[in-house]
Amino acid sequence: MEAMLAYAVTVLILVGIYALFALGLNIQWGFAGLINFGHVAFMAIGAYTMVILNLHGVPLSLAILIGLAVAGGVGALLTLPAIRLKADYLAIVTVGFSEIIRYIALNERWLTGGAAGLRGFSLPLEGIVPAEHYDLFVLGLIWGSVLIAFILLQRLVKSPWGRVLKSIREDEDVAKVSGKNVSAYKMQAFLLGSILAGFAGMMLAVYHSYICPYYYYPIETFYAWIVVILGGSANNLGTLIGALLLWVFLSGTRFLSPIVPLSDFTFAALRMALVGVLLVVLMLYRPQGILGNKKELTF
Amino acid sequence: MLTGVTSGCVIALGAIGLTLTYGILRFANLSHGDLVTVFAYIGLWCHRLFHNVFLAGVATIIGGSLVGLGLEKVVWRPMRERGASSVAMVIVSVGLAIAARHVLIAIAGPRLHFYKISPRIFQLGDVRISSVQILVVAAAVVAMLFVYYILQRTKLGKAMRATSDEPALAKVSGIDVNRVINWMWIMGMGLAGLAGFLYGLYTSLRPDMGFYLLLPMFAAVIVGGIGNPYGAMLGGLLIGIVQDMSLIFLPSQYKVAVGFAAMIIVLVFRPRGIMGRAI
Repeated sequence: MEAMLAYAVTVLILVGIYALFALGLNIQWGFAGLINFGHVAFMAIGAYTMVILNLHGVPLSLAILIGLAVAGGVGALLTLPAIRLKADYLAIVTVGFSEIIRYIALNERWLTGGAAGLRGFSLPLEGIVPAEHYDLFVLGLIWGSVLIAFILLQRLVKSPWGRVLKSIREDEDVAKVSGKNVSAYKMQAFLLGSILAGFAGMMLAVYHSYICPYYYYPIETFYAWIVVILGGSANNLGTLIGALLLWVFLSGTRFLSPIVPLSDFTFAALRMALVGVLLVVLMLYRPQGILGNKKELTF
Repeated sequence: MLTGVTSGCVIALGAIGLTLTYGILRFANLSHGDLVTVFAYIGLWCHRLFHNVFLAGVATIIGGSLVGLGLEKVVWRPMRERGASSVAMVIVSVGLAIAARHVLIAIAGPRLHFYKISPRIFQLGDVRISSVQILVVAAAVVAMLFVYYILQRTKLGKAMRATSDEPALAKVSGIDVNRVINWMWIMGMGLAGLAGFLYGLYTSLRPDMGFYLLLPMFAAVIVGGIGNPYGAMLGGLLIGIVQDMSLIFLPSQYKVAVGFAAMIIVLVFRPRGIMGRAI
């Protein structure tokens, strides 16, 4: 029973982290129609900035704020070369960017600890929260953040700002003709989404009390994509449901692992392959996902 | 320099398929790198089976063409018939990339793989050339001449160029667009098969190297000008040489980042590339 409960806590923590991560993508892709295939890079940037600054003596709260600013700022900058061009270019630029961030994390050992990763940074309210309940505290922290992010985003997408974003997604030229600065809106959407990804990365680092480059494989980005598309693009509630379903799938199939006559490694790889297949099948047969509105699709 | 030309040839071969897809179907096919990886492994397994480089190479090209045609029937044509936009195509291509990559990881395991051939080394003055390098460059040149012949001298090639320039016009002038697209996949993916096979000849393979291969190929496509196969060849060579030169002042892990930087610079200052039309 105890073990089951601990397992449920772990899964719910991960659901919360991926919900935050995917909410960020939903702003970019769902509402603004921007293809970001390098979302995981901002997770890495946020987490590494926080950890590295903290290990060099910066207090954790300040390190978190700087980390969020760096993640958001880099996100906004990244849109510069591609934002005026066709959507596909942004896809390529972001894929490349996220791979390069991962190479840097892997190779600049003096800064990032290389493949061995970094540990020993301070955790929020460490010492105040009893260690045996720390996971529960993290759970509360993450789901509190999810709730706040969800409410803020809901208000934001219903505001004039959100409507402009949607109009850009539907037809950029119309938005431009109505006097909206399209590039600025796109950049703001990217900034906001990257900040959320950065925060999710920090929470993942806090939960593991460790970071290493292997947390930032491209597959993480596509987990966020499957969450958003499965739940329904441009639907924040759908994104939360998608995150829950992803982890029900990922952890549920883990229980099957002892029954299936495959090594853990092979099984895990096939599970990730299934995520790719699911993405293709969804796009073919139900591109609006569970809660999405077919009329609101960019594709 | 010579290693740059060798890898440039492989990048160019991969980039031709990519740029044809972009020209005719109007979307960035992000599964291309992972499919080249799959073909590299097919080449590896064929080579173990036949113990003959030429047989294995031909088998891989045929395998690549069949995979290309199969995906067209199962995925791309149904997507087009649904009226999917290019954005939807890009997302589907990434789903394919993820699926192909992880199936390959499941089969091949995470280790590095080699073809285990020992090339002969020729000494020409100060330059050392291995037989593998000669083979790669020769095969690439033959393949590119073949592409040139198809595109410029055959009816199919004319139809392909017409479809790439103006799809609607091509359709009304009686070109069977679906047939053109079939042949585009056969040609592009056959070349991708050859690229994967040649890549495996001179370096080690990893099942998760798809994006690592895709980035220089995309850089080549964009530098050369999107949709232009000759631009892709030239771009591929350029990217290969630039990446190789960067080894003088950067560790090899960042080779791909250099090609990527070249692409960003072209995107910012001359988005239509060297030989592309205005966009």
